[in-house]
Amino acid sequence: MLEVFNRKTKHLQKDRAARNVEESRKVDYLKDEVAMRLCERLLDIKRNFPHVLDLGANSCNIAKALTTPNLDITTPEGTVSPPLADKISKLTCVETSRALLHRDEDLPFNKEIEIQRDIIPDLETLPYEPNSFDAVLSSLSIHWINDLPALLEQVNTILKPDAPFIAAMFGGDTLYELRGSLQLADMERRGGVSPHVSPLADVKDVGSLLNRAGFKMLTVDVEDIVVEFPDTFALMQDLQAMGESNAIMNRDSAPLSRDVLLANEAIYRSLHKEDDAPGIPATFRLIYMIGWKEGKNQAQPLQRGSGDVNLKDILGGGEFDRP
Amino acid sequence: MPARTRPVEKIAKASAQCSAEVAAYGKCVVTDYNSVHKDMCAKEFMRLKNCYLAASKKG
Repeated sequence: MLEVFNRKTKHLQKDRAARNVEESRKVDYLKDEVAMRLCERLLDIKRNFPHVLDLGANSCNIAKALTTPNLDITTPEGTVSPPLADKISKLTCVETSRALLHRDEDLPFNKEIEIQRDIIPDLETLPYEPNSFDAVLSSLSIHWINDLPALLEQVNTILKPDAPFIAAMFGGDTLYELRGSLQLADMERRGGVSPHVSPLADVKDVGSLLNRAGFKMLTVDVEDIVVEFPDTFALMQDLQAMGESNAIMNRDSAPLSRDVLLANEAIYRSLHKEDDAPGIPATFRLIYMIGWKEGKNQAQPLQRGSGDVNLKDILGGGEFDRP
Repeated sequence: MPARTRPVEKIAKASAQCSAEVAAYGKCVVTDYNSVHKDMCAKEFMRLKNCYLAASKKG
């Protein structure tokens, strides 16, 4: 197996970041937001989930999202539906970093949902029995997995039949601004490039990955979240505090030189700063995926061409000439 | 714990005082970004660095 990411480096980055509790909580805005958007997808499934796994739980951001009242949908009659946490009897949160996983265990949300925290040496080898979970959720974690196909197969195994895997990960174009400007800064200052931003999976690969792992009824979609930062230094500091800095194998062990940092700041601003904006934008591309483990009596997609209602009749629209 | 200024914060603070030099260097690289090579904008970078060093001395 080709190792892309250095697991030890990634573990240390997460652990160190989480030990600075205050700083680490301050940069949770992205993880919290994505966890919320991910959990909203549970609303579409009219079902209760006795036992759910949060794979790569960070600091249990999904548990926090599930218990957040904002997530409730208010019906037209003005009645408020129960929080999503009510649909889940037990949430098992699994993570490699103890400091990160236990960071928020004293916060109030822990009382509103039953949480079990499991620390395992390596997220790529899951210690659970087959057919154990009614759903597996994962938010902003599996982009650091070296062998994603093998992990997805394990997820499929530990799910009960007809149970969903719902995940969000950073994808391809995430931080494309930083990737590009660091490359130019490296070229101009040092005459060559080295990888400062880790590679990510592309959205078009995710469907076939899920398919290969045996998932059915796939849904994959993409969303960009653009965050504004005062400068590139603030962006990089936040990434570090999130535990999300580069963890590629054979990366330069020395930190970026001051010259390259200065050059990068200038180039990033020239390329991406809007005239009327006070700060610089950084794009995070989220890939959301849902796949179902095969099960008896599961809804199946119909054969192609078996529809007997023309969508044109429902949606309207003009004539469409066959080629 | 006393507030500790990290090296990167110092760089951020000093470079913010050199916005003209930052813009000039950035413009130089970006103008021809398909054929960037080593020291293509060495002159602009030296100006940026001199400004930066002066600004960081002032604290």
